[in-house]
Amino acid sequence: MQDNFNQQIENLKINLIKMASLVDEQAEKAFTALETGNVELCRGIKAKELEVNIYDNLIQTQCENILALFQPVAVDLRFIISVMMINNQLERCGDIAVNIAQRVKKTNEHHSLIAETQILEMGKQAREMLKNAIDSFINNNIDLANKVIDSDESVDKFNKQIFKALVLKMQNETQLIEPCAHLIVLTRHIERLADHATNIAENLVFYVNARIIAHKKKFEKWGVSDQTID
Amino acid sequence: MKTKFHIKDLDLFFKEEKVLKQINFEIPANKILGIIGPSGSGKTTFLRALNRMNDLEDGTRIEGNILLDEEDIYKPDYDVVALRKKVGMVFAMPVPLPMSIYENVVYGVRLSGVNDSKLLDELVEKSLTASYLWDEVKDRLKTSGMRLSGGQQQRLCLARVLAMEPEVILLDEPCSGLDPISTAKIEDALTVLKKDYTIILVTNNTKQAARVADNTAFFLMGELIEIGSTGQIFTTPNRIETNDYITGRFG
Ligand SMILES: Nc1ncnc2c1ncn2[C@@H]1O[C@H](COP(=O)(O)OP(=O)(O)OP(=O)(O)O)[C@@H](O)[C@H]1O
Ligand SMILES: [Mg+2]
Repeated sequence: MQDNFNQQIENLKINLIKMASLVDEQAEKAFTALETGNVELCRGIKAKELEVNIYDNLIQTQCENILALFQPVAVDLRFIISVMMINNQLERCGDIAVNIAQRVKKTNEHHSLIAETQILEMGKQAREMLKNAIDSFINNNIDLANKVIDSDESVDKFNKQIFKALVLKMQNETQLIEPCAHLIVLTRHIERLADHATNIAENLVFYVNARIIAHKKKFEKWGVSDQTID
Repeated sequence: MKTKFHIKDLDLFFKEEKVLKQINFEIPANKILGIIGPSGSGKTTFLRALNRMNDLEDGTRIEGNILLDEEDIYKPDYDVVALRKKVGMVFAMPVPLPMSIYENVVYGVRLSGVNDSKLLDELVEKSLTASYLWDEVKDRLKTSGMRLSGGQQQRLCLARVLAMEPEVILLDEPCSGLDPISTAKIEDALTVLKKDYTIILVTNNTKQAARVADNTAFFLMGELIEIGSTGQIFTTPNRIETNDYITGRFG
């Protein structure tokens, strides 16, 4: 029974890694298109969505089966919970890559605008975070996960700065309102991608250290710790 | 929270062999304590130490103390008969006596000298209701207890213990060999009973401890490795041995 369980866990992990590499490819294409303005790259992204969704369903079903058949506890239970959460986050990252690609196509003629603001720097950082989040759970690398969690703040900062810059642009050059509006939405997508990468990293920390760290910053601001809430 | 048992530096020997080693902890009243651990880890021996059933075995010796309501149950003048009335026990194999269901329930009570039939009638209904068996047998109380199914027999044995109106109920793998529905009935009964009793449940089925116990103790090779709230033991055990046992990685 233990052998069977280990085999199923192994299999689940393999599927999650396959799913992650699909999403990673989507993100890679979207961000390269953003950086280079090569919209041709955007084509394959949407097509990958179907495959991602198949893995999403497969992983969901596998988790459900393992929970029902083995009723895992402790570290095994945390593993299943974190796989379910990471699966969900990855699926959304895939969606966001599609969204980013759409905005890249719409703003293609205004590539100079992208270069002018800090959108590329922000994109690089978010891209790096997703890559590291995926690497961290493949290799159980807590340090890397913590690095991802720490980067989230600077992406938020980029987002605010870029928003301001784009609003200013729209005020001064009304003919740029439309592309700027697209770019605001684009940066919002990038910001969400970084959030999901952060969640993935937090799920790894939960699995390894049995500590829930999501919303920790908010709790700190309110002066409560996660331990005080029952 | 009231402490029912206080176990202090308990060692237990069968002849030269030390089978319980330095057990120290308190068992709170009106809770269910689950005791888990591999075969031979000392669960049954520990349970039997709580009502001095090991005394019946030659060459048994203990060191340390077991306090029940702050009184040392191993002190020389302690009334062992009263102890076994106060601390009842249900065994793994149900042992119905070759008599009617009714007489099975009141057997111990009659032995202790009670014969008022109205009192006994009440006791039978109350005990069988509390052990979740009443509805199934109320129309055939005069038939033999041996004719019940295994699951029903086990609930009959629980009723027999309850009829003695103990304060503590010890159960040693009461559901081994029972189907899921009989098991659920016993578990439901225990969950209700803990309002009035302190329950200590030894089980080879860790999932059962997870379902019903408030606190869970993990024994290994005669040692108490870890005790904590059941939620903590089954989500974040502190000891690697506990983790390995509950996740089935053991041995
Ligand atoms: N009457 C006895 N005389 C000598 N040794 C005994 C006696 N009863 C038990 N032991 C020993 O004490 C140790 C603990 O046994 P115990 O029956 O308490 O284990 P357990 O945890 O209840 O195991 P199981 O899950 O198989 O019921 C074992 O090594 C056993 O061999
Ligand atoms: Mg035993």
